[in-house]
Amino acid sequence: MSLNYMVPASKFKRYLPKDYVELVNYGPFGKTFAECGTKNMGKYKELVEEHPMCSGCWMAYYIKIIFASLPNPEHTVTIGTAGCGRLAISQAAVPFIYGNYGDQNAMASGITRAFRLRFPDQQKDVITIAGDGGMMDIGFSMTMHAWFRGEKFTTIMLDNEVYGNTGGQESGMSVKGAVLKMSPKGKNFNKMPAMQLAITAGCVYVVKMSPTNINKAAKAIRRAIFAARELGPTFIHAYTSCNIEYSIPTPDVFKDAQEMAKGRFAFEEFMTDEAKELFTVVEAKKKKEVN
Amino acid sequence: MYYVAKVDSSKCSEYKCNMCTLYCPEANTLMYDEENKTSWVDEDRCKGCAICVYVCSDLLDRNCIEMAMVSTED
Repeated sequence: MSLNYMVPASKFKRYLPKDYVELVNYGPFGKTFAECGTKNMGKYKELVEEHPMCSGCWMAYYIKIIFASLPNPEHTVTIGTAGCGRLAISQAAVPFIYGNYGDQNAMASGITRAFRLRFPDQQKDVITIAGDGGMMDIGFSMTMHAWFRGEKFTTIMLDNEVYGNTGGQESGMSVKGAVLKMSPKGKNFNKMPAMQLAITAGCVYVVKMSPTNINKAAKAIRRAIFAARELGPTFIHAYTSCNIEYSIPTPDVFKDAQEMAKGRFAFEEFMTDEAKELFTVVEAKKKKEVN
Repeated sequence: MYYVAKVDSSKCSEYKCNMCTLYCPEANTLMYDEENKTSWVDEDRCKGCAICVYVCSDLLDRNCIEMAMVSTED
C-alpha cells in the first residue's frame, strides 16, 4: 500500500525472486504515466505476472491495459470474483481481494468507505474487475445497489458474452441466438443493456468499448478512476472475446475485436456535466505538468 | 516442443515501430530493447497466439515476426 512496503532491504535483495527485484528496479511504482504507461509497454516491467489464461486471450490483454493505465498503482486495490479474469488479476503486483460469487461491488463499497475513514489524507483507488457473469448475472443486485447508493469506486466489466470458465453456458450478456456448447439451440433472450442500466442507476461516467486502440482504452480507464475519486460510481463495459468458446483462431482475435469496435461495441461515452468539468481540469493539469 | 514467436531483429530495427509490443496479450513477454531498437520475445513466457504476427504482417506489412517451434532440450 506504499512504496516503502515494496522495496526490500538491500542485503535481502539477492535472495528474492528475480521477478520481484525487476519490479522494484524497473516497475511502474512511483513513476508517472508518461514514463511507465501504455505508450511504453514492453519497455518496463509490467505489474501483471505470468498467469494461466489461454493463449491469445483478449481478456488477458485488456487486464494488462488496466494495470498499465492505473494512475496510482501503489494506492490501488482490485476486487474480483469467480471467472476467467481473476486468474490474471490476482497475479498482479496490486493487492487483490476475491469477492465470493458476485459480491465484488458490495465488498468494494465497504472497502472504499473504510479507506476514506482510515486514510483521510490519501487517495486510494478501488476497482472491481469481473466478467459479465459476475457483474450482470450473479452479482447483478450487488452491482446495481452499489450504483444506486452512489459508492465512489470504478467498476469494469470484462464482457466475453459467455461463461468461459465453466464450459460455455449462455450468460445475460450473450446475444440473442448465440449457439454455445451449453445452449445448443441458441439463446432465446436479448442481451442485457448494461450501459443504459448503469446510466439509469446513477453512474457519472460510463463507457462501452472494444479495446483496439490502446490510448483510447487507457484514457477511458483513467477517466473512470479520476471521476470515481470525487464524483460517484463509474462503469466501463469492455468487449474481451472468448476465443475458446466462440472458436476464434488466436491470430484473428485482434481482427474480431476490430470488427466488434465497428459493430455492437462501437465506442460510446456518457458523462455527467460535473464529470466533464473534472476531466477538463485534470487533463489540462496533466498537459501543464508535461510541458 | 513449444510454438513461439521469433523476431527478426535486423529487419525489426529498421522500423523501430514498437507496435507489436502494444498488442501482445501476455505481460512482460514481447519486450522492446531501446539500445538495439528492436522487439524481442521472452520465449519462456510466449504462449504462441500469433497476434503479434497479425499486427506485424497483416496490418503493417513489415513481416518481422514469424512463429517457430523451439525445443526445451537445447
